[in-house]
Amino acid sequence: MSFAGVLTMALEGLRRKKGRASLTALGIFVSVLALTLIIGLGEGLTAAISDTLTSDDNLRQILLMPGFGERAENKGEEIVIIGEMSEARRARLKRAAMARAEMRVMAGRRTSLIDDASIARLNKIDHVTGIRPLVFERYDVTMDDQQTQATLTFGLDTERKRFAQRVVAGNYFSGPRAGEVLVHEYLLYQWGFVTEAQQANLVGKQLTLKTQDIAAAGAGALPQGITEALRNIEFTEEEHKALTTILPKVAASMGGREALQTAASKTLTIVGILRENEPSEPVAWGEVSLADVFLPDGTAQELFSAGALSAQLGYQRAMVYVDDPVNVVVVEEALKHAGYSAYSVASFVKQAQQALGIVTIILSFLTGVALIVATLGIVNTMVTSVLERTREIGIWKAVGATDLQVQAIFVTESALIGLVGGLVGLGAAAAAMIPGNILARRMILEQTTLPFSGNVFQLPLYLILAGPALGAAVAVLAAIYPARRAAKVDPVKALRHD
Amino acid sequence: MLIEINDVWREYKVGRAAPVQALRGVTLGIEQAEFVALLGRSGSGKSTLMNLIGGLDRPTSGSIIVAGEKLGEMSSRKLSLYRRKRVGFVFQSFNLLPAFPAWENVAVPMAFAGVPRAERKRRALDLLGRVGLGERAGHKPGELSGGEQQRVAVARALSLEPALILADEPTGNLDSATSAQIMALIKDQHAHGVAVVMVTHDPDLATQYATRTVRMADGRVVEPVVAVPEAHP
Ligand SMILES: Nc1ncnc2c1ncn2[C@@H]1O[C@H](COP(=O)(O)OP(=O)(O)OP(=O)(O)O)[C@@H](O)[C@H]1O
Ligand SMILES: [Mg+2]
Repeated sequence: MSFAGVLTMALEGLRRKKGRASLTALGIFVSVLALTLIIGLGEGLTAAISDTLTSDDNLRQILLMPGFGERAENKGEEIVIIGEMSEARRARLKRAAMARAEMRVMAGRRTSLIDDASIARLNKIDHVTGIRPLVFERYDVTMDDQQTQATLTFGLDTERKRFAQRVVAGNYFSGPRAGEVLVHEYLLYQWGFVTEAQQANLVGKQLTLKTQDIAAAGAGALPQGITEALRNIEFTEEEHKALTTILPKVAASMGGREALQTAASKTLTIVGILRENEPSEPVAWGEVSLADVFLPDGTAQELFSAGALSAQLGYQRAMVYVDDPVNVVVVEEALKHAGYSAYSVASFVKQAQQALGIVTIILSFLTGVALIVATLGIVNTMVTSVLERTREIGIWKAVGATDLQVQAIFVTESALIGLVGGLVGLGAAAAAMIPGNILARRMILEQTTLPFSGNVFQLPLYLILAGPALGAAVAVLAAIYPARRAAKVDPVKALRHD
Repeated sequence: MLIEINDVWREYKVGRAAPVQALRGVTLGIEQAEFVALLGRSGSGKSTLMNLIGGLDRPTSGSIIVAGEKLGEMSSRKLSLYRRKRVGFVFQSFNLLPAFPAWENVAVPMAFAGVPRAERKRRALDLLGRVGLGERAGHKPGELSGGEQQRVAVARALSLEPALILADEPTGNLDSATSAQIMALIKDQHAHGVAVVMVTHDPDLATQYATRTVRMADGRVVEPVVAVPEAHP
């Protein structure tokens, strides 16, 4: 069959009814735009999740946090509500009392601590190959006459040489208990060491870490705002002394920690300067990347253990290593059963993917409805077109167009509408992805600590092809019935003079 | 014998009324060298017969045989190809595509036949030149007079060099001077060996151009076939 005549007639049909054809294509445009964005988002997020979070050996790790214990349910037995009242009201008040008691317990105490004893115990859980406390604490950092209060420090896994690639001057730690520190270039910059040469010169110098006094005294019990404010006020020696005496008592009265952090301090040698991580560098699960001073694991633990507070509260976090990713879920359950909070990339990824899957399905369903509406629109347009062009169809047939050619004219016309709608939809989606990606990346970087550099919207080749192909395919399908009607037109009737 | 028409009936069924018998047993033979004028009163079945000969319609009974094949039994596709390759229609109401310029109207049959665009255009312009419309190739039907439109229609009918021209009152909408131009074109084709069947209400046209006149009434051929001497206008 010759396509020349078919194409000529189809294009002419479109040219004559440009407005109507455009409106019809709009339905396909919207559907393809939405579908491309939805699938592109699904693709991008899935890739982002697996690239960013499953890098390193993240999939074998579980982040362990202290538990806050069982809900204090049987404690309710001791609470008695007295006085004359209805039973319903008594029960209501008791419920209120119990909830408040439970809240105090939760806020005040960690029931399952992460300390050396519990680490030894948890290490015996099947499939656990090791547990490493993650130590991040705030210390007052002093070097010569430079001092910064409440600097965040973080203990690095020296065995795995974490962050070794970020050393820009000097060396990495020589061992887990080496008494060495790596200092972040930004802290030094803040101290006035601007150039790289100035910073490199500092390698070998001494640096002292000292437990914070005032803020640590009320830590945990006082609202964050108050601790922050205390840090920023200059106190006289006497005021300072008085505060350190009174704050622990205030804290204790609020159901918080009872002891004052005993002052601990340690002088360490700067072995190297660490640069900020690049957005493209993979992040490890549970890693604290905003720290300014980095210690070898062992040193960090020693320093932390020296404080009295640490003995009471244990480590804030630990990383549990599992022999194989498939066992992560089982171990996670065991840890939760032991009263801890446990988070793994595996279960996070699973949850995220489930949520993503549901959202994608719902959105795709809505888009599917839009696509059906668009299809009906095409059917309507094409049937109208056939009715309007009955005489024309008669002429085509009289000069020798076959039924197939007549059908092909309308199918082609419709397919072109669908293809153009699909292409424009794809183009619009691709265009929308550019600001979408920039915006999403900014949001992720602002709201999480993930060094995210990927694209939230992705446009793989199959998706580029799928949009226009879907548009054209749907339009072809929509044209089948109108095209058959066109082929059935009786030329004799169509040509009877008016 | 180019076309053999044997006892052809054509009935139209409209609703529950008794069927209309537009043709009631037409038997007719048409030779390759003939120019047949079909005369008869309105409603006598002339157009119905033309549509059957042209393969736009199928007989209710009887047979129309072209080159050994019965048109009524051909597949719809073969019938389309028959119309395309062997028949050129000229209608009273021109039946041009209003959106296309003259040359593209002439080229429509070639487009369906798969002639490449450049070749189509070249041949269409050539044909328009032959009907005296070389200057008007780019004009749409709405910009042409009735006579000019009919000349475009004749050019279209000739575009795939048919063996048979079927003209149903080709001059019905035209004045006598314009009619003469159209008739000259058709006669020229006849002179080049193309068979012509033309419906007309004008007995003068019949005697002037046709080699034979066939008269119809009530769906039948009423006069015995009478040969008339070739006319010289
Ligand atoms: N589709 C149809 N349905 C019903 N009756 C029809 C149909 N087509 C034609 N007829 C009838 O068949 C008869 C022959 O019609 P036809 O058009 O062949 O006449 P004609 O000789 O060409 O007339 P005219 O000179 O007016 O063109 C008429 O009575 C007409 O009403
Ligand atoms: Mg007629």
